[in-house]
Amino acid sequence: MSGTEIMKAAEVQVHLGRYYQNNKVPFEGGLLDPRMGPANKTCVCATCHGDFGDCPGHYGYFNLALPVYNVGYMTTILDVLKCICKSCSRILLDEKISKEFLKKMRNPNMEGMVKKAVAVLGIIHDRSKVTDGSLEECKSAIFHTKESKASFNVATYILNPIKVLYLFKRMTAEDCEMLYLSERPEKLIITNIAVPPIAIRPSVIMDGSRSNENDITERMKNIIQVNASLRQELLEANAAFRCLAGWDTLQFEVAQYINSDVRGIPFAMQASKPLSGFVQRLKGKQGRFRGNLSGKRVEYTGRTVISPDPNLKITEVGIPIRMARILTYPERVSHHNIEKLRQCVRNGPDKYPGARMIRYPDGTARALIGKFRIRYADELKYGCIVDRHLEDGDVVLFNRQPSLHRMSIMCHRARIMPWRTLRFNESVCNPYNADFDGDEMNMHVPQTEEARTEALLLMGVQNNLCTPKNGEVLVASTQDFLTSSFLITRKDMFYDRADFSLMCCYMGDGMDIIDLPAPAILKPIELWTGKQLFSVLLRPHASMRVYLNLTVKEKTYSNKLIRTEGDEEIRIETMCPNDGFVYIRNSELISGQLGKATLGNGNKDGLYSVLLSDYNPHAASVCMNRLAKLSARWIGNHGFSIGIDDVQPKKELSDKKGKLISENYEVCNVKIKEFNEGKLHLKPGCDPAQTLEAVLTDLLNRIREDAGKECMKGLPWRNSPLIMSQCGSKGSPINISQMVACVGQQSVGGRRAPNGFIDRSLPHFQRKSKAPAAKGFVANSFYSGLTATEFFFHTMGGREGLVDTAVKTADTGYMSRRLIKALEDLFIHYDNTVRNASGCVVQFLYGDDGMDPAQMEGKSGDPLNFGRLLMKIEATCPARGHKYLAPQEISKMVEKQVAGYGMNPDKTCSEAFINSLRKFFESRQDKLEQKIKLIEDFCGDRKSEILEKVAHKISGITETLLEVFMETCLSRYRLKKIEAGTAIGAIGAQSIGEPGTQMTLKTFHFAGVASMNITQGVPRIKEIINGAKRISTPVISAELEFDDNENSARVVKGRIEKTILGQVAKSIKIVMTARKAAIVIALDMETIEDAHLCINADIVKESIIQTPKLKLKQQNITVLDVRKLEIVPSVVKSKIHFELNSLKKVLPMVIVKGIKTVERAVIAEKEKEKKKVNENEKLKKKYRLLVEGTGLLAVMGTDGIDGRKTKSNHVIEVHQTLGIEAARICIIDEIGETMKHHGMSIDIRHMMLLGDLMTFRGEVLGITRFGIQKMDKSVLMLASFEKTADHLFNASVNGRDDKIEGVSECIIMGIPMPIGTGILKVRQRDVVPPLLSYEGPNPIIS
Amino acid sequence: MADEDYNDVDMGYEDEPAEPEIEEGAEEDIDNNNEEAVGEGEPIETEEKVELEQKGATRKTSKFMTKYERARILGTRALQISMNAPVMVELEGETDPLEIAMKELRERKIPFTIRRSLPDGSYEDWGVDELIVEDSWKRQVGGN
Repeated sequence: MSGTEIMKAAEVQVHLGRYYQNNKVPFEGGLLDPRMGPANKTCVCATCHGDFGDCPGHYGYFNLALPVYNVGYMTTILDVLKCICKSCSRILLDEKISKEFLKKMRNPNMEGMVKKAVAVLGIIHDRSKVTDGSLEECKSAIFHTKESKASFNVATYILNPIKVLYLFKRMTAEDCEMLYLSERPEKLIITNIAVPPIAIRPSVIMDGSRSNENDITERMKNIIQVNASLRQELLEANAAFRCLAGWDTLQFEVAQYINSDVRGIPFAMQASKPLSGFVQRLKGKQGRFRGNLSGKRVEYTGRTVISPDPNLKITEVGIPIRMARILTYPERVSHHNIEKLRQCVRNGPDKYPGARMIRYPDGTARALIGKFRIRYADELKYGCIVDRHLEDGDVVLFNRQPSLHRMSIMCHRARIMPWRTLRFNESVCNPYNADFDGDEMNMHVPQTEEARTEALLLMGVQNNLCTPKNGEVLVASTQDFLTSSFLITRKDMFYDRADFSLMCCYMGDGMDIIDLPAPAILKPIELWTGKQLFSVLLRPHASMRVYLNLTVKEKTYSNKLIRTEGDEEIRIETMCPNDGFVYIRNSELISGQLGKATLGNGNKDGLYSVLLSDYNPHAASVCMNRLAKLSARWIGNHGFSIGIDDVQPKKELSDKKGKLISENYEVCNVKIKEFNEGKLHLKPGCDPAQTLEAVLTDLLNRIREDAGKECMKGLPWRNSPLIMSQCGSKGSPINISQMVACVGQQSVGGRRAPNGFIDRSLPHFQRKSKAPAAKGFVANSFYSGLTATEFFFHTMGGREGLVDTAVKTADTGYMSRRLIKALEDLFIHYDNTVRNASGCVVQFLYGDDGMDPAQMEGKSGDPLNFGRLLMKIEATCPARGHKYLAPQEISKMVEKQVAGYGMNPDKTCSEAFINSLRKFFESRQDKLEQKIKLIEDFCGDRKSEILEKVAHKISGITETLLEVFMETCLSRYRLKKIEAGTAIGAIGAQSIGEPGTQMTLKTFHFAGVASMNITQGVPRIKEIINGAKRISTPVISAELEFDDNENSARVVKGRIEKTILGQVAKSIKIVMTARKAAIVIALDMETIEDAHLCINADIVKESIIQTPKLKLKQQNITVLDVRKLEIVPSVVKSKIHFELNSLKKVLPMVIVKGIKTVERAVIAEKEKEKKKVNENEKLKKKYRLLVEGTGLLAVMGTDGIDGRKTKSNHVIEVHQTLGIEAARICIIDEIGETMKHHGMSIDIRHMMLLGDLMTFRGEVLGITRFGIQKMDKSVLMLASFEKTADHLFNASVNGRDDKIEGVSECIIMGIPMPIGTGILKVRQRDVVPPLLSYEGPNPIIS
Repeated sequence: MADEDYNDVDMGYEDEPAEPEIEEGAEEDIDNNNEEAVGEGEPIETEEKVELEQKGATRKTSKFMTKYERARILGTRALQISMNAPVMVELEGETDPLEIAMKELRERKIPFTIRRSLPDGSYEDWGVDELIVEDSWKRQVGGN
């Protein structure tokens, strides 16, 4: 606002820098003038006569003696000054050009005006040669402007605020518009200060007469004092010098009033405890934007310690009565609940099913304290609202920090229970990542019917069993539940009638109908197996139509090969000796001991996943409830514990371990000896020391694994740790091995323990010792106890882990925040496009197929798992008499079905899905043909119908079966489509951010090639997401044109790797003869031949000439023969000696061959490319090149490289060489690759979305504050992200308006956002309610 | 052994329809079956098609109700019911407003129109009774 505007808006002129008079009444005209609002509860506003609560506050103003700059607009002022003439205030531009730009500015279709205008102005600035109007000191704003027109002196002079104000006032409106100023520029300079109302700078009266003033008030007081003294000085004539100092002080004070940590304040001015300015109020995590507008404090919440309770359903949460008495839900009195609410009112706030308050329709409210409660209860009428205590079945939100993904806050049903902890079923630990070692959790009670409904339907536990990260179930049985299921389903577990019935009752609460299956053993007594118990658990009674069909390979599955039939390998499957193959057919557990793969989380073929996809969430959750109850009760009776004897190794085991260690030590010593003698066989691309390290680390790491294997073999089957590790409930073989046999090699930063002392890790060892024990190998087990040095090494490793976690959490947290801010407003519109808040299309179809990642059944994100589905359909709908289709008929039928469904007008199925369906049936058909052939071969002429039937039975299909299958596939495919309104951006950001927190180990070896490290883990993800220009390990993987020949690979490698002259020259000599002085270079042709380089003297000459620093010309160099050349520098004779010597030094560094930017190239064998070359099944190796360094274009252009298959991991470089689409693919692949290295699977659709968002502008935008700014986000969103004040100041200069359409803006403004349930509008239709006939009284309307 | 098991299993299913038929959801209680019939019955589906042919020519969005629409409608309706709005279905002892709203939705009696706005600013109006609701309700909510 300009000075006059401020004066008009203000109620009072403030001129006194004081607060209260002696009698605690504020001064008139002081900073707490009652006309600006009441200073405390005792006063009344003098302007509006409102009291402390009602008065909104009024502005005051005071006049500055001299104008000062507004620090927030410093850069703008500078920019404007750069563009205008310092004498006439016009823009420094020709009339014609300026008109053109003006036209452009006025074009309403032009978006992103800011950037363009700025760019244009930059050009103008250069042309008119106004050199550098630089700012020497921020506060005093000294402009050193060299006037090129030289009208007057060229000396520098200071542009003071008065001068600038004068210049600004004379600017024309057109010029302002061209500079994208929405207001007059003179408003950038402060002449009058508005004194904010007292309401925003409260004054607190401390004990007695002292008062505690807000920072703003105190700052204001300083300003008034400085201003007064300045005015005084101005009045005194001839005080120009001192006045300048006073003016500066005023400038500093006003600057700090706005932003208290501006730079350039003289040290004397800095207070010991800084008073915060307006900018400080807004910015930062605790600031207004992030602390109060984007997130708010709420009521109706609770927090305590959590504890487990397997008797609760997974959808329930146990809430302590104390909490239930405090938290309330406002229930409106209606016919159904009036009696209940009356009782609540009577009970009052202290007795449990009570109430705290009644609110009447006329707006009054009564707290239920005192004796009138009974009267209130009797007077309760329909339409009143009773704030009643929480009761069973109420809807609550349950949350645990850190809330990394949407399953961190879910909706449960309340269950009021005694005692003091929040309780829930252990199966739900996973999504919250909770344990019970003292964790606390929060709960919130939604207060309206709408909020409850939405919470229940969208955030309910049963609707969030699957994670949208990759479609695996997250809510699943854990720990003890797995252990007891594992024990129950042992092959030798039998129960008699009493036991079995008892266990059946354990599953429920004793009230459920259960059909007892026929006993497995009838004589001598009836016995049931544990597996039958699980059949009961899955399908307790006959009228329940859950037919579960699945096969899972457990951890213990031996995977033994029986025989091979053609291409097909017949595995041992159900006959596994460890009983590791789980086969459930029609809800009957046929084989397999259940463990984590079946019952646990993180498996797409597990029991709960199948229940969820084939049936519904309810079926899965009921099953989980039953298992929780059963196993908790069963294991309570059975008992399961771990003791010292469990980790005592038997003698054989310790002997074996001793032998293992001594053997390996022997090998290590041999290697070390070889190394010392220099005989070590080197690994590609490594020096001897590296090779030795690699070999030793490999050997020593294997000891622990081998010891682990021995333990698993050697421990008795009853051993508790063994059981736990087998069923996957807790612990791994390595953990057991560490307890029982050997702790193993300790590593720091991926290497063995480093040397903290001179040449040794600890003073207990010899210098330069490379022996295992000296470098951190712990041969003892935790049971046998560590020696002092071992213990020290162990702590070193442990410390690294701790540091890593601490550093990582901060890193990933910030990464998640940035991802969310960038992706938050992407959602799916009703036309199935993914757009951002301003309607810009990011994807035309989400993930290229529009499927919901949470519901994908296939391992690699395919919508359906055809194999399993067919198995289920075969099992549930037995063929019985229907004719099997001949192989040729199958494809015909498939086509017919596809034509029927796929081509329907809704276009429900994508082409890709139909194709995958076709492919599935083709392979099926092939199999059938093979089987038939096999049988024909087997029985030759004795071919009979029965035998054919066998073949069909194995892999045939009937017509009806096929029909049903296709129908299921297609209808289920439709259900898996993603729904309009899904906030897919936020889900994607969480899905990428959340796994980041779990990533360990910073670097990872490149598969196959030692010594080639690639940044992995969080740092790598950060690089990709930031769109970093320089990445730490750029690697180009180049395919060779002839990839089966190592020699040709060498040749190509030679072409890529840079070769310097020093490497190929035999000698570089200075030859001084009487007539000339020259350098003669002789090439070492043998080496060149050896390395398959084609270098001769001519090539060397060319490369020397092309090296710019040498300044040698064509005539300086003469080629003597193929291997010799001579250089005669053309300089004066006196200097020639120096010249020659310097050349001799530089010449060996000249690059004669290869790509400059490449560090090195390594030949790598391709993994998994084991192709059967001929019938001898000889494996032929295939090679490719890994090039460390940048220069993708040059590598692709090298002879012998297949440029079409060459890839780089450097996103920006890929963008520059191959274009934006390639960059997008690169982003997707690289993130996927990094995640895969850490054993995390993320649905490709999330990465696609991120890739698309980063590239949809046509350039690679990093998810950083710079990239996000370019994604056309609104001002409020940017302000709530980072650099709050800058964005706000700029927006005000440019006069930006915000349409409030994004997520952040809506939250800040408190408006429902157009995402999810907010995407639609609901309109009431005027339908006359039907006349319903009720028996008895009308239930709702009285 | 395995073969025998199969037979056993099959025997148990003899009362089930021999014709291959996919089970629609886990039928928990027998009581629920009639609800199912109302929710996914054939006749409604055919009505749908007739209506669609009349109106559907200009409407492009999916004829299936999204879970967000479902939640919003049920929420709004539950609020109305909790504030003593007239109920459009006959009650069988339900008292929870949400449960009543669900029953109304199941019977397609909710008197609302959904206005779906497309990114170009246009919108489509769909009556709640025109949209197909996917699954049975009671079980999604976690209560019994």
